[in-house]
Formats: sequence, structure tokens, C-alpha cells
Amino acid sequence: MEKSCVSIKIELDIVAARQLGRELAKQVGFSVVDQARFATAVSELARNIYLYADQGEISFDIIKNMNQSGLRLTATDKGPGIRDISQVMQDGYTTSGGLGAGLPGVRRLMDDFDIISEENIGTTVTVVKWKR
Amino acid sequence: MDTKFKKIVFENSDMIVNMWMKEIETLKDGNYTSSVSDELFESTNREFVNVIFSSIQHRGSTHVVEDFSEKLINLGWPLSYITDGLQVFRRVTIDFILSHTERIDSTYISELIRSVDLWTEPLIRQLVNEYSGSWEHIVSLQRVALQELSAPLIPVMDNITIMPLIGTIDTERAKLIMENLLDGVIKHNSEVVLMDITGVPVVDTMVAHHIIQAAEAVRLIGSTCILVGIRPEIAQTIVNLGINLDKFPTQSSLKKGFSAALNMTGRDIVENQAKHKQIQDMIDSLSRE
Amino acid sequence: MKKIPILKLHDYLLVSIQTEIDDQTAMQFQEDLLQKIHVTGATGVVIDLTSVDMIDSFIAKVLGDVVTMSDLMGATVVLTGIQPAVAMTLIDLGIHLQNVPTALDIEQGLVKLHQELGA
Repeated sequence: MEKSCVSIKIELDIVAARQLGRELAKQVGFSVVDQARFATAVSELARNIYLYADQGEISFDIIKNMNQSGLRLTATDKGPGIRDISQVMQDGYTTSGGLGAGLPGVRRLMDDFDIISEENIGTTVTVVKWKR
Repeated sequence: MDTKFKKIVFENSDMIVNMWMKEIETLKDGNYTSSVSDELFESTNREFVNVIFSSIQHRGSTHVVEDFSEKLINLGWPLSYITDGLQVFRRVTIDFILSHTERIDSTYISELIRSVDLWTEPLIRQLVNEYSGSWEHIVSLQRVALQELSAPLIPVMDNITIMPLIGTIDTERAKLIMENLLDGVIKHNSEVVLMDITGVPVVDTMVAHHIIQAAEAVRLIGSTCILVGIRPEIAQTIVNLGINLDKFPTQSSLKKGFSAALNMTGRDIVENQAKHKQIQDMIDSLSRE
Repeated sequence: MKKIPILKLHDYLLVSIQTEIDDQTAMQFQEDLLQKIHVTGATGVVIDLTSVDMIDSFIAKVLGDVVTMSDLMGATVVLTGIQPAVAMTLIDLGIHLQNVPTALDIEQGLVKLHQELGA
């Protein structure tokens, strides 16, 4: 299984991450709409790392199960963590003056969504989009 | 041991078949096959029991089983006929062999059950597979058929397009509808899209949510969506469920929606006067004579 | 850093975004556009997004803000050419850009401005 990583340190890395994400989505054979959905999710998660954790890493791998293939995206940081996950999963909740659409939006864009976070240790978000 | 059991069964096949037929006959009444004629039931049973025997003899020869299951599937007989038939066969065979053996201990019984199970197992597996394979095939065909009639987009005039929705809308279909809708708007350069829900039987919060999302996406790409075909009971459910459709235009019928669309694209229907004029001319010419 | 060009056409400003927008370019654009509205006294702006293949919540926020800010300065903004894939992604994100006028392409965007401004 191939794996590719982008580390997020500066703002421009967000663009690099989503470009790679879109490229991989194209390779897996996603429809144009799903390519846009995937790239957008990458952008949201990369920005979260940049805004809240300062730095971290986005990695992609192509996964296969019985009858479908998909793209998994893992966003990891060693930032301050999230105290109340249910709160950040609500639409419209924001601490940065944004739209508060980030994490709940990503969950709607993707098929599988998983978040693990511990205060002062870091956050890992794992999402999967399956090819339709 | 297995060969010995087989020998008993084949030597006494007539008796076992008779016992089996009798048992199966009792299952007929008030059951799945009650609508089938006696002759057909009898002949099918005979064929079934032959299939069972030949399968045991040839250790699961597949051709006979395949033909038989295909025939049953075409006749529309339920799967339970097959599973019942094989259960009965096991019961009857075990009873028969036990009643024809003098020395019986627990090892013997377990050996016997094991052997008979091994005879029927491949049969059950294959028949069930044939049945479920045929169901899956039908389901996938129907899914394709459903997708084909899912969401046609009809351009009726420059800049005006109609999308009639028919049937239940689930999440999968809603996505397809939205994609077709948006691509069609771009393709036909439609300023106004009329989404007709006359053929949608039930509008609950989920369906309304999908429709609203589609309408909002249409607005984002720079067009306007008019929702038409809102029947009285749908208007009632929409309000009772507290769904807010204020943000985009709605009309009760496609006719009203179409004139609204004409209005929005700066057009008007003008009656052609020629017909009246012709009649008038005819009357005039008559009175002149 | 990339700069998004802003063209003047009589009382209107025309913008066509052709590059991948990073956050900084977006912020710079916001500033440039408001400055240009101030200098030219433009009453209408068309921002064309035909070549944009992705809008995330940040860029959506910047765009929404630009529309509101321009409105405060007396210029109506119309967004045009949002791609179907982008529109669907925005809906999934829960972003509806409710108060933002839209049109299919630049041409219809200009017509819409004309109508809205009643000129």
C-alpha cells in the first residue's frame, strides 16, 4: 500500500496538501465532485493543524476492502488537543472567527470519520472517502 | 462407515423416497405450494428426490442441481421448499437407517448424522447460492433501471429547464439528482429550473432537506430553482414538520411555475390573434353575400 | 505572492480568479478590491469563479466577507460561474452564502448587476 505525506508548517503547505489530495483522488478514480469533496476536506484539516496546532502532518493512503477502493486521510498534530469533541462537531462553533463549518463539514464530505484527541498531547483525525 | 450407510440408502431407495414423498405431502397444505396443481407438485417432488440421490451418488454433481434450481426459480417456488425438502430427507434417512440397524451406540449415531449431513450440505449450499445469486442479479438490474429513470432534465425553452421527480427520494438518489441538476443547468445555460415534485409520494423532513439542498446548490451556481407540484397534503406536511421553504419560490402546479419562469426570464405568452381574425373574416364574408 | 487582477469597466469592476487561491492571496485580494472600490467609486462588482475547482470554508468566508464589505461601501457584488462540484461541496460543508447574489456567467452577472442597480 502506498503512502504519501505532507508536513504542515507554513500556510502554503495547506495548498500543497490539497493539491496532492486532489491528484490522488484523481488517480483512485473519484468523480469530479468527489475529487472536490476530498480536496476540500484536506484543506479544512490542514488549516485546522496550521491554525490550532502550529504544525503537524497530513498523510494519505489508498485502501482496498472486499469490493471497493478508497482514499484514507490522516491528519496528526501534537497541538493543544480538543477538550470537548462534541462541541467542535457542532455546526457553527468556532474559536477562530471562521464559519465553524470545518469538522462537521468534513464529516459530511467524507464517508468515514474518526477523531481522537487528548488535551496537551495532540489530535488525530482519520477520514475515508470510498470510490462510488 | 459412510459407504455402508450409502449402500443401505441406495438399496432401499424406493422406501426412502416413499417416506419422503409422504412427509412432503403433509407440508403442502396451507403452505407455500398450496396453489400448485397436484400433478406438478408430485412430478417436481419426484425430480427433487432424484436430484438428491444423484447428488449423493456423484458427490455433488453440479449440472443436475443447476438445472433443477433454475427450473424452480423460473417457476417462482420459494427457497423454503428446498430447505424443507432437504430437512425432511435427512430426518427420513436417519430414521430409516436407525430402524434397520440392530446394534446402535452413540458413536454409530454421530457417525450416521455426520454422513447424512455431509451428503446434503453441498446441495443446500449450491441451491441457496443459486437462489440468492438470482435475487442479487434481479436487485442489481432493478437498481440500474431505477437510476436510468432517476432524474431526467428537460430543456423546454432557452434558459428554462424542467426536472420532474418521480418516486421516493433517498440519500443515494438525492446525490444523483443534484449532480444531474447542476450539470444540466450548466449544459443548457438555464436561468430557471422547475423542479416538479408531483410524482413524489411522501415529503418528509429528509426528502425536504434533500430538495432544499439541491435548490440551494442551484442558486450557488447562479440559477434559480422553482419548486412546483406542491399538492395540498404536501403543503400541510411541510408546514406541520416546520420545514422552512421561504427562501425559494414555490408554485402549486407546473403551469403556474412555468409562467413564473417566463416572467423571471423577461418573457410573456402572447395569444395569437390570427385565429379570431380568420373567423371574423369568414363571418364577414358570409354576411356580404 | 500571487495577485488577482481587478479590471474596471465603466462603473463596474471585473475579477476573474484563475489561480489556486491560498489564504494569503485571498486576504490580499480582499484588501485590493475594497481599495479599488474606494478609488474608482464602482457601484458593482462581478467576481467570476469559473476556473476555481475548490472552495473551502476559509475561502468561502473571505468571499462572503468581501460581499458584505463591498455592500457597506455601496458596491453590489455578484459571484458567477461557481462549478457544480464546488457548489455541492459548499452545500456539504453547510455553507449557503445566503445573501450573496449569483449568476451563471460573467455576461449574466452583468445583466443581474444592471437589474439590481436599476440602471
